[in-house]
Formats: sequence, structure tokens, C-alpha cells
Amino acid sequence: MILFSFKLLSGKKKSAPFWTFEYYQTFFDVETHQIKDRIVGSVLPWRGKNFIHLYIRKNPDLYGPFWICATLVFAIAISGNISNFLVHLGGPKFRYVPEFRKVTMAATAIYSYAWLVPLALWGLLLWRNNKVMSLVSYSFMEIVCVYGYSLSIYIPAVVLWIIPYEQVRWCSIVVALCLSGSVLVLTFWPAVKDDHPRVSIAIIAAIVALNVLLAVGCQAYFFSKPEPDLQVVSSSAPGEMKAIPST
Amino acid sequence: MSGFDNFNTDFYQSSYSVDDQAQSGYGYGNTEDPYNKPYGQYDYSQPMGYSAPGMMQPQQPYTGQIFQPTQTFTPSPSQSMYSSSFDDEPPLLEELGINFDHIWQKTLTVLHPMKAADGSIMNETDLAGPMVFCLAFGATLLLTGKIQFGYVYGISAIGCLGMYCLLNLMSMTGVSFGCVASVLGYCLLPMILLSSFGVLFSLQGMMGIIISAAIIGWCSFSASKIFISALAMDGQQLLVAYPCALLYGVFALISVF
Repeated sequence: MILFSFKLLSGKKKSAPFWTFEYYQTFFDVETHQIKDRIVGSVLPWRGKNFIHLYIRKNPDLYGPFWICATLVFAIAISGNISNFLVHLGGPKFRYVPEFRKVTMAATAIYSYAWLVPLALWGLLLWRNNKVMSLVSYSFMEIVCVYGYSLSIYIPAVVLWIIPYEQVRWCSIVVALCLSGSVLVLTFWPAVKDDHPRVSIAIIAAIVALNVLLAVGCQAYFFSKPEPDLQVVSSSAPGEMKAIPST
Repeated sequence: MSGFDNFNTDFYQSSYSVDDQAQSGYGYGNTEDPYNKPYGQYDYSQPMGYSAPGMMQPQQPYTGQIFQPTQTFTPSPSQSMYSSSFDDEPPLLEELGINFDHIWQKTLTVLHPMKAADGSIMNETDLAGPMVFCLAFGATLLLTGKIQFGYVYGISAIGCLGMYCLLNLMSMTGVSFGCVASVLGYCLLPMILLSSFGVLFSLQGMMGIIISAAIIGWCSFSASKIFISALAMDGQQLLVAYPCALLYGVFALISVF
């Protein structure tokens, strides 16, 4: 396979074909303080500061999105198991069994959100750009970066969901949704605002809706709801626990 | 010699006889001055390797490969030196590549996480130390009743592969798989402390969690320190430490649960 690489006149980046290893090496050229700045920037959205323009324009990286998704998968799996354990802690004859299947489910959900949705969004923006000349256009890697870093606020939120009180959970989910949703909206609004108003509203609404769906779905599926009243009946077989919610 | 005379006198008489004589006097003519031949023969005979004419019989038809140099016998220097006397043999450990001094230096580098690491110690990949540490880790787990050698080896292999891919992507110079495996194996040493602690006390309380977290931090800090000094990656220590922490966290999970 012939490697075709050439140096751009202005920049110092080499451009290699995407099937070679060197192409992906350019996406890991980040330092610790850059990653820290990007994470902080994704958590604190500021009106008028576009995440991509400020932090990523020169240097999209794959390290951040990949490891944030991996951390979120582990956090969801571990926190889900712990919350399950804590909810049933008082019950007699309850044997805690760690559910490792949750890791694979969480991984599928998070990684498809972080990679397939940017793919769809990029295709959509490309299609609209053909029809309407927009001043702003994002490359696929930049969109993946934004989505990856916007998931970073969910890591502390997921840890807070261990606490089995409804108020705490709702509070944390609303805060996380607001922050990550506003980062996404502020980033993508300049790209779609030149379009037909209905189309741009539809795109923004879809972005926000998918975000909400991910957060609420994860909480509902991985974290058991603390039952308000639980009557425990021990059956004749040892090690079995039946729960009958009191009416 | 007579064949050669015939060759000279019959040269202009018929081309057929010249060819005949070329075939028969082939090997013989090669031992004479090779530059005296006409051009047609020169191509065939030159690669015959006239450096060892003593090996070739005259009047023998050419049976070697055309345009390929023949193998000449040169005695390898090691053979001639070492086969001469028993005292000249190198020590066994040096032949095997096990250098105790380097092993001890690397172990000390892991045990002092605050001391700066020397980048050149990782130049030779040494897998003897890491194998010993993996076996020791499995042995301490065995003392607590967990027969989990398979998990230890499997997770080490997958973790080494993942770190190898990541470090090749992140560094300017590449790394070899043996170097990655060697560093990760050496930094498993504090994890052996954790599992031996787990033999005596249960690690499933708050104390156990704190100690596990400290030991995971120690392992990943040492591993990232050695990697960045060996690969000259500035400002990326925490970025390398985080995947190492995940890997050692899995080992700690095996120890604790």
C-alpha cells in the first residue's frame, strides 16, 4: 500500500489517507492541560463562546471522546450496581449479585450515542450545506469531539444517582441536561441558523431530544427506583426474597 | 592446459567448436585468468566466485545457479573463538539476557514513585521480571482461595495490547510490544502488596477501598512516569496514567472481590 502524504504550505500538519495508522496519530497530539480546558469548557457553557471555535478548531482529538465515553460506561455500570445494592440493603436474605450485562448494555448505548448521532448530524449538515450556503461548517471529527466532551458532565451526575432519593436524582438530571444541552445548542446554532427556520428548529429540537432520551433512559434502565413501601415476605425456600408493595 | 591451447588455435575456424570447448573447458578456464575470456563466456563464469578456486574441480560442467554467487565458506568468528576453549564462553546469564542489576534498578524505580526515572533503562525488553510478578500475584490470590490465574493472564494480555495501541498513537517514536509488557509487568509489584494484604484482612470495607485506591494510584503513577521518560512525551503524564489506572483498577477488582 503506497502511503501518500504531503505537507500543507501553511500548517504543520501532514495529511495521510484515512486507512493508515498515521492519520489517527494526528488526533492524539494533545496535552493534559488542553484536555482539562476542553472538559471545563464543555461543562460551563457561556453565551457567545462557541466550544468548537474556542477549543477545538485547530486540533480535534480522539483521546477525550473515547476515554470520556469509557469512563461513563464504567461509571454507569458501577453506580447502577451500587444503587441496586443500597436499595435492597435492609432486606433480609438478599444476596447481591453483580450484573455484568449492564456494562455491555451501557457501552452499546453510550458509544452509539457518541458516534452514530454525530455521523447522522454531519451527514445532515452536509446535505443542508449543499442547499443553503452556510458560513459555518464542521468536520466529522469536530462534531464527535463536541458530543464526546458534552458527555463529561454526566459522569458526576451518574455518581450522584447512587443516592436513593428522588429529589437528588431529579435535581442532578435536570442540571446535567441543561448544561450539556446548552453546550450542544450553542455550538450548532451558528451552523443551522442560516437555514429555513423550520428546518433549523427541527434540527436543534432533535439534538436536545436525543440528549434527554439518553439521560432519562440510562437512569430508568440502570438504576432501580427506590420503592416507597416494601413489604418483604420470606418464602419457604432459603435465599429467596419476595417483595409485595403495600397498597 | 591442452584444452586451452586448442581453444586458442581453433577460435576462428568454427563457432561450433568454440562453443564445445567453452562447455568442456568451463571450470578449468575459470581457474586461469578470467579476464582473458571472450565476452560470451564471461557472463557465465564471473559469478562463479573465483575467491575460492580451490573448491572447484576442473573439467566439471557448470551445475550451479546462473547469476547467483556461490556460498563460500567463511568460519563465523564466534564459532572459532568459542569452540576453542571452555573458559572463553560467556556466562550463562549473559547469554540468556538476564541482567540482575537492571532488574533490581527497574524494581527500585517502581518502588520510589517520586524519584525521576531514567529513560534508558527500558531499552532492553526484559520479560523475566514481569512473569515472576504475575505468578506472584496469582499465588497471593491463591492464598485467599481464588484460583484466577486465567483472569490475570487474560487481562494482562488485553491491557498490554490496548496500551500498545494507545502509546503508538500518542508518542512521536513508536514502542515495541515487549517494552509495554515489560513496564506494565514491573508496575504490577504494588498490586502484589495489595493482594497479600488481602490474605490477612478483608478488603471489602472502607479501609480496603482507601488502600486499593492508593495502590492503584501508585501503580499507574509509576507506569506513566516510566513511559513518559522512555518515550519523551511531555505534558501527557496524566493522559497516560488514566488508562493505566483503569487497567490496574481491574486487577484491584480481582483482588478485592
